[in-house]
Amino acid sequence: MATGSGTDKDGVPAVELEGLTKRFFEFIAVEDVNLTIDDGHFFALLGPSGCGKTTTLRMIGGFEEPTSGVIRLHGEDVTGFKPYQRPVNTVFQSYALFPHLTIFENIAFGLRRQGIDDAEVTKRVGAVLELVQLTGRDRQRPRQLSGGQQQRVAVARALVNHPRVLLLDEPLGALDLKLRKEMQIELKRIQQEVGITFIHVTHDQEEAMTMADTIAVMHGGRIERMGGATEIYEDPRTEFVAGFLGASNMMGGRLEGQRVTVVGGIVIHITAAAAANRSGAVHLGVRPEKIRLHAPNDESAAPNRLPGKVTDASFIGVSTHYLIENPDLGELAVVVQNLDDRRFALGEEVVAAWQPQHTFVVSR
Amino acid sequence: MRWRRALLPVYLGAALVYMFIPVLVVIAFSFNDNQGRFNVAWQGFTLRHWLDPFADSSIIKAVGVSLLIAVLAAAMATVLGTLIALALARYNFKGRSATNILLFFPMATPEVVMGSSLLGLFVAFRVGTGFVTILLAHILFIISYAVATIRARIVGFDRHLEEAAMDLYANEWETFRRVTLPMIMPGVFAAFLLGFALSVDDFIVTNFTSGSIQTFPVYVWGAARRGIPPQVNVVGTALFIIIASAMLLYLRWQRRSALKKA
Amino acid sequence: MAAAAARRRRRVPYLLLLPGLIYLVIFYLVPLISLGRMALQSGNLQAGYELTWEWDNFLQVFTTYRPQLLRSLGYSVGATLITLALGYPLAYAIAFRGGRWKNLFLVLLLMPFLVPFLLRTLAWRIILADQGVVVETFKAIGILPDADGRLLATGWAVVAGLVYAFLPFMTLPIYVALEKIDRSLLEAAGDLYSKPSTAFIKVTWPLSLSGVISGTLLTAIPAAGDYINSQLLGSPAQTMMGNVVESKFLSIVDYPSAAAISITLMIAIVVAVVLYVRSVGTEELIA
Repeated sequence: MATGSGTDKDGVPAVELEGLTKRFFEFIAVEDVNLTIDDGHFFALLGPSGCGKTTTLRMIGGFEEPTSGVIRLHGEDVTGFKPYQRPVNTVFQSYALFPHLTIFENIAFGLRRQGIDDAEVTKRVGAVLELVQLTGRDRQRPRQLSGGQQQRVAVARALVNHPRVLLLDEPLGALDLKLRKEMQIELKRIQQEVGITFIHVTHDQEEAMTMADTIAVMHGGRIERMGGATEIYEDPRTEFVAGFLGASNMMGGRLEGQRVTVVGGIVIHITAAAAANRSGAVHLGVRPEKIRLHAPNDESAAPNRLPGKVTDASFIGVSTHYLIENPDLGELAVVVQNLDDRRFALGEEVVAAWQPQHTFVVSR
Repeated sequence: MRWRRALLPVYLGAALVYMFIPVLVVIAFSFNDNQGRFNVAWQGFTLRHWLDPFADSSIIKAVGVSLLIAVLAAAMATVLGTLIALALARYNFKGRSATNILLFFPMATPEVVMGSSLLGLFVAFRVGTGFVTILLAHILFIISYAVATIRARIVGFDRHLEEAAMDLYANEWETFRRVTLPMIMPGVFAAFLLGFALSVDDFIVTNFTSGSIQTFPVYVWGAARRGIPPQVNVVGTALFIIIASAMLLYLRWQRRSALKKA
Repeated sequence: MAAAAARRRRRVPYLLLLPGLIYLVIFYLVPLISLGRMALQSGNLQAGYELTWEWDNFLQVFTTYRPQLLRSLGYSVGATLITLALGYPLAYAIAFRGGRWKNLFLVLLLMPFLVPFLLRTLAWRIILADQGVVVETFKAIGILPDADGRLLATGWAVVAGLVYAFLPFMTLPIYVALEKIDRSLLEAAGDLYSKPSTAFIKVTWPLSLSGVISGTLLTAIPAAGDYINSQLLGSPAQTMMGNVVESKFLSIVDYPSAAAISITLMIAIVVAVVLYVRSVGTEELIA
């Protein structure tokens, strides 16, 4: 159970999911999901394939019926409603632009179904085309546009209806890297300009962290961790989230006070906050970029120290990625920003060290 | 070994020519200056049959019947077939296999069997054979082909399109009307054309169920003994040219609109 | 509320199917059953028919009409093999070499149907006539004996007519199956197998098999029941089962006997389809 952060406009959350479950015969795609998304929020559902994020989104949109649970949009129970009865619009992964209609008619489709008069339709379509920077293409057909342009039309088609919530189902998946990054910024800009709630489904953690105010990481049909990007990155709380969002070095040990004894007798220090309410067997993690490498007898190294040998060193430009082999704990991944010229060679003995506050504890 | 690559296209051309040879003969013999009642040996070129095509009014009547039945049967079979194709392509339901099998059988059944069984049905229920029974029979054997044609088209298109339409406030009927139907139209139309061709051409089943009404093929069969008047060739040729041209023009129009790119 | 909507959604496919299926049941299944019943009756048109479980009718199919039965089988098998030999390359050519004109070729393949089948078969009668071009040429080459060689009124003419009639029915299903083959599979095959012929044997042919079987069923069975070709291009010496049915139904009016023959044909179809479905499944039937 978690709530999204941020202030809401009129006190009513945009989306509320209560005990939402979806079962396909034997397979449980979504299990007991509880979620509150505030108005005007950019919310991301993040997770690997098959974790249930798309199914959850589709249930909010009305394309799948929940096996049990309640969906509320701005306070109204819409659980049984058909898609055309809900004040939400969707941007599909395949864009789903109507090939037999012009761009104008594609975008106008929803407006026309609502009976809006022609003058108003023309006005709104023009405005939204400007918003996505595709003015002038209204007479063309979808197949005449590039992937990125089609994607923007899909967004425009949804936005023009002034939905209170916009659902995006991995809309950037088909674009190449550069375009994807541009669109991420574009979508964020549009969301802030228009001010409506966006729910974005993606498997790309970088994308989620770039765009979203709040991220919910889903795994096996459940929400494992929810919060702002920084919060869930630095404090993943579960091993899965630690591994899915960025990389982690994991180790197990026994906790006493604020000291964890790991395999090989080495002591790892953690903060009081991390140690709160915990004792006995624990699992720890530390992110590769939080670790610094030192020569074996360097006393300036941080308190958490692991000795090892460099087994791999890859220069990536911005940073160097090392693999340090520790006889008891195995391989440690270390990412060092290329600030000074101290580079460590293959086979060199080093000490990997990090601060106690960078150690996080996860539950298995 | 370059010539090997030309084998297939050449074969394709030859095969198509082979299909048209009898058609060409039919066309040619509409210009035959035949003496007497039979039109089986070439005796010289003449235009007189073309100048007097309506000599035998029963030919025209028969052709009219054929065309009318073809249009009606193809239309109704296409409608029924579209419904079935939609069900098969979009839904997974119990009895799917049985439906597939049931749809296959009419295509594989010899016309003799279909014709005789239908005649038996009509006789048993004391339904007089005539226009309606021919129509019913034609619809029967066209449906399966219609389903096959349309289904191929439906399977090809993005399922999310219908969801997108509903997302944009179109209810089920509006979605069908504004999105699904336009998308499958080419398939529906192709099914109609196919059904039309099958119906115009059919003889055996028609023969069993026509009673005293004559379609074009029935007329030809009856006339085969007495000697087929060349007007039959004339009418057949004219029909062929008109409908074939229409089909080719339609194809051309379809390709034109599909190729429109920036 | 969700449950009610779910129930309604589940009913949709059945509603869609209903009109068409009812039609098929009434006009296809019921008549066949009635035909089956008729096959076991005896009597005549004046006195009326009675269900006397006249299995003798079926026996007659295999005794009295044995020549026709064998001939139907023989012509059908022959025509099917030839049609397959001609139709497969045709389908292949359109699918793989058709390019932009695929639809055009398909339309051209079907266009002759606009001229009634009867007229076209009669045209063949003219073409294959005794003093015609074809016979004369064959005599010159030596395929036919000079003295009394003819094509009409021989089994060859009937088979040729059957081939012509059913070529599109064989070609189309094969074409559909070939069209569906993922081109990248063929590229991979080209990568793996050094000769194109091996790629064909190992990849293309097996994948097109369902189309071949469909086409075969759509050709062999109707061909076995045909009577037009034998009547127009053959002589009484070439009568097939179809001819017998036709005459017994329309001329001599011996319904039970005719029905028995028809039912025998249908049983052959059912057996063939069952075997097909067992091996390939039902989804490919109406591709």
